[in-house]
Amino acid sequence: MANTEDDKTLPAEPSRPQEGAGGGHGQLVRGDLSFHDITEMVSRHTEKKAPLAWYIAFAASLSGALLLLALLAYVVWNGIGVWGNNQPVGWGWPIVNFVFWVGIGHAGTLISAILFLFRQHWRTAINRAAEAMTLFAVVCALIWPTFHVGRVWVIYWTLPIPNQMEMWPQFKSPLLWDVFAVSSYFIVSLVFWYVGLVPDLATLRDRAENFWRKRILGFFSLGWTGANRHWRNYEKAYLLLAGLATPLVLSVHSVVSFDFAVSVLPGWHTTIFPPYFVAGAIFSGFAMVVTLMVITREVYGLKNVITIDHLEKMNIIILVTGTIVGFAYITEFFMAWYSGVEYEQYAFINRAFGPYAWAYWIMMTCNLITPQLFWSKKLRRSIPVMFVLSIFVNIGMWFERFVITITSLHRDFLPSSWGYFEPTWVDIGTLVGSFGLFFTLFLLFLRFVPMVAMAEVKGIMPQADPHHYDGGDGRAAGNGHAEGDGEPYIRPAKVASLEQPDTDEGEA
Amino acid sequence: MVWEENHPKDQPAMKDNPYYQNQWGMSIDLNTCTGCNACVVACTSENNVQVVGKEEVSNGRHMYWIRNDRYYVTEGDEGAEDPEMLMQPVMCQHCENAPCESVCPVAATLHSPDGTNQMIYNRCIGTRYCANNCPYKVRRFNFFDWTKTLPTEVQMAQNPEVTVRTRGVMEKCSWCVQRIRQSQQQADNEDRDLRPNEVETACQQACPTDAITFGDLNNPESDVVEEKQNPRRYELMAYLNTKPRLSYLGRVRNTNPRIEEALSSEQDADAVAAADA
Amino acid sequence: MLRTLIQEVKASMGIYESDADQVYGLLAEFPNPGVLLDAAEATRKEGYRHFDAHSPFPIHGMDDAMGLGNAVGVGVSTFFGGLTGFATACLLQWWTGAVDYPLNISGKPFFAVEPSVPIMFELTVLFAGFGAVAGMLALNGLPRPYNPLFYSDRFEGVTDDRFFLHVAASDEQFDAEETAKMLRNLGAVHIELVQDDGLADS
Repeated sequence: MANTEDDKTLPAEPSRPQEGAGGGHGQLVRGDLSFHDITEMVSRHTEKKAPLAWYIAFAASLSGALLLLALLAYVVWNGIGVWGNNQPVGWGWPIVNFVFWVGIGHAGTLISAILFLFRQHWRTAINRAAEAMTLFAVVCALIWPTFHVGRVWVIYWTLPIPNQMEMWPQFKSPLLWDVFAVSSYFIVSLVFWYVGLVPDLATLRDRAENFWRKRILGFFSLGWTGANRHWRNYEKAYLLLAGLATPLVLSVHSVVSFDFAVSVLPGWHTTIFPPYFVAGAIFSGFAMVVTLMVITREVYGLKNVITIDHLEKMNIIILVTGTIVGFAYITEFFMAWYSGVEYEQYAFINRAFGPYAWAYWIMMTCNLITPQLFWSKKLRRSIPVMFVLSIFVNIGMWFERFVITITSLHRDFLPSSWGYFEPTWVDIGTLVGSFGLFFTLFLLFLRFVPMVAMAEVKGIMPQADPHHYDGGDGRAAGNGHAEGDGEPYIRPAKVASLEQPDTDEGEA
Repeated sequence: MVWEENHPKDQPAMKDNPYYQNQWGMSIDLNTCTGCNACVVACTSENNVQVVGKEEVSNGRHMYWIRNDRYYVTEGDEGAEDPEMLMQPVMCQHCENAPCESVCPVAATLHSPDGTNQMIYNRCIGTRYCANNCPYKVRRFNFFDWTKTLPTEVQMAQNPEVTVRTRGVMEKCSWCVQRIRQSQQQADNEDRDLRPNEVETACQQACPTDAITFGDLNNPESDVVEEKQNPRRYELMAYLNTKPRLSYLGRVRNTNPRIEEALSSEQDADAVAAADA
Repeated sequence: MLRTLIQEVKASMGIYESDADQVYGLLAEFPNPGVLLDAAEATRKEGYRHFDAHSPFPIHGMDDAMGLGNAVGVGVSTFFGGLTGFATACLLQWWTGAVDYPLNISGKPFFAVEPSVPIMFELTVLFAGFGAVAGMLALNGLPRPYNPLFYSDRFEGVTDDRFFLHVAASDEQFDAEETAKMLRNLGAVHIELVQDDGLADS
């Protein structure tokens, strides 16, 4: 195995009590690690040469990204017709891919923001990588609506910039809401990620040997010194950003669902879409996080930081959101029947039994049925099972967007205008290429950025709690000189260990 | 009705426009329509609608602004081998509450003060959302640059009054807005009001049975006003509240019973003859 | 007067002026967060104000120990950021739709609240996020490329596993000898005097 360093880590404080310390945080980081061990485990991956597996993966991903680039140039040169889009299927794979990638992105924000607000300390091991995944997924998502328009060179007309026609964007359009929602989401996620990165970049800066490396990291770490006056405002800003990102992430997929829900098409015009899309986004996003984390912890030897407990918790979320999504599928059918609208009823019968029934049943199998295996504790703690299931979920969620977009469009009101959509080789190539771009960006992240939030992990370790030392050896070292002052600045260790600490955080 | 409050058509921004005095409307009498497709041909040549070829038609990239929908009807299971065919020419319905307009992020399609649904090619960025949201599926997208490969003679044969659309923009029936504007200019030059029925769309002009009537709804002398009072009038998918400016006059199928009798006896005779043989 | 005010504002960001001898302050290293917390509290009770604790992660209770209280400033800037975003979205959608270029779109009102809500929400959140980060950076005096503390080699460990208390020379009570003695009494394992080269960062 690659993670030999797990064995050679040295406990910094051998006498540290193993359990009962730090108010139940003890399980979050496995092994007997010191602060320096954390720094070392995470930082050195950005400093030493990448493993061979990285180069192989990077070469494969980069060729995918280049394929995407070439095919997008081909699309722009020739026209949208090189994709399979037609009349009536005006939105084909590009929009399917867009919704898919935006959904993937949501888990990152969920882990970083919502779990932060809920004080779920287990998030610290995975939040950095999950946020990076969000950013790269949103980059991959933004490609699609940008390039799927007929005239990409005037896409800036969707922004409220004064232009030669003296016209403004049309603010009643859900697509414009989308422009604002997805770009706000990207910017806020980027800022949130960067703010979280600053202390860790400072760590890398202070470890840097190379002149330019030190300068570049110095630039991006903003002169961070870990001063408490800074931590104070920093933590507040981070909390507020988490508070802002939480409604934002819920709004983004709601707005994406408005693209469909606000239209008049049977199969699109449903009020269930916003919650159903958000649940689906969390579902697919967590599956992608599990896929990536299983690989990353294996290759980079981070099994003590990204533990099986973390993965199990994510699998439980996959189970819950998958069931919500399945419930939404069934509710849609009920509503179609209950509405009494012929078009709506036909749209759903056509989904399950029409020409695209195969896509519908792939969706049902991968999203509703297979995640139910996670009811078994044994299966949701099994790495191979969760790896395969997480990939199944992503396939299923891609097909969900396919079913929503394409089966609804291909047969709507007038039978004279019914059609059928078939993807072209360009459709397939661009989808594959977008995965290439995603993994290229993710591998660059693994190579150059601390993949685990070191400052946050250190902050939840038992020895980070100042009261951890009240009865330990740390106090004795600093205590000897204070006695003569007669000032009770430093409580004697023995008294402190008997008294209840006066802050709320001291309870075990 | 709540959606009629603050309706933009009643606001000064629309009312102060000189075009506001004409409100265009159309009706198509399905009783007289024979489904000859002359309207399709006329529209294609008037409006520079590109011919995309067999392969792209089968890919769903045809460009016709007007089409003839066919419905096959039988009475019960009888005659399933030889159904009756009903035709319905469908073009842009010029809805007053057009679903295509509100979804365009750049306001490339909107309502004119004279009540038509307009498509502004210059402004279009090609999201195709309008086409998705059109319940009548009358919007056509330029998936490729169709004119690039045309021979020079054909390129020069395009109607100079109508923009030749570029790749990546949406297009659709404009109710021959170039003819409307030309007649208005003519009337202006002659310092008079538009005469009733002065403007004729290309499809209307080509229709051999005068099934299509077009005109100013504000002018009580227009034929279209009279047509709209016909009890057979209905709007396509009116339940969506799109309020189309185009009305259909329903086809009446209560054939004279004696003709039916004659037809069926003829068929019986055929059947008897076949059985005998 | 103004000068003192500016000095105090900068001190609240952790930016201190060095004294006439280019002494920036004393940097004392402590073995662990527990001792650092108590040392910070003691330093404040001794009457020091221009001092700061440096640690690889935020230490729980340090704000109270240093007497800093709640960080209200970031909240205020976030709130006003959000307010700006909301006002921008309202004005943008109303003015472009109803005033500058009214267009008849699907027979809908030129401006109505309902279709404007998504963008109002998004811009509120976006600008509030900007407000939070801008407020945080401004109140922290970041980015700050030059900091005399970077002259200390030991200080490089502050982002790894070391814990420091820095008492600035600009503090009224600062006295290199006395302060060092106090810090040693509080349990500092290493104390050094940090010099400013006087060339940058007034």
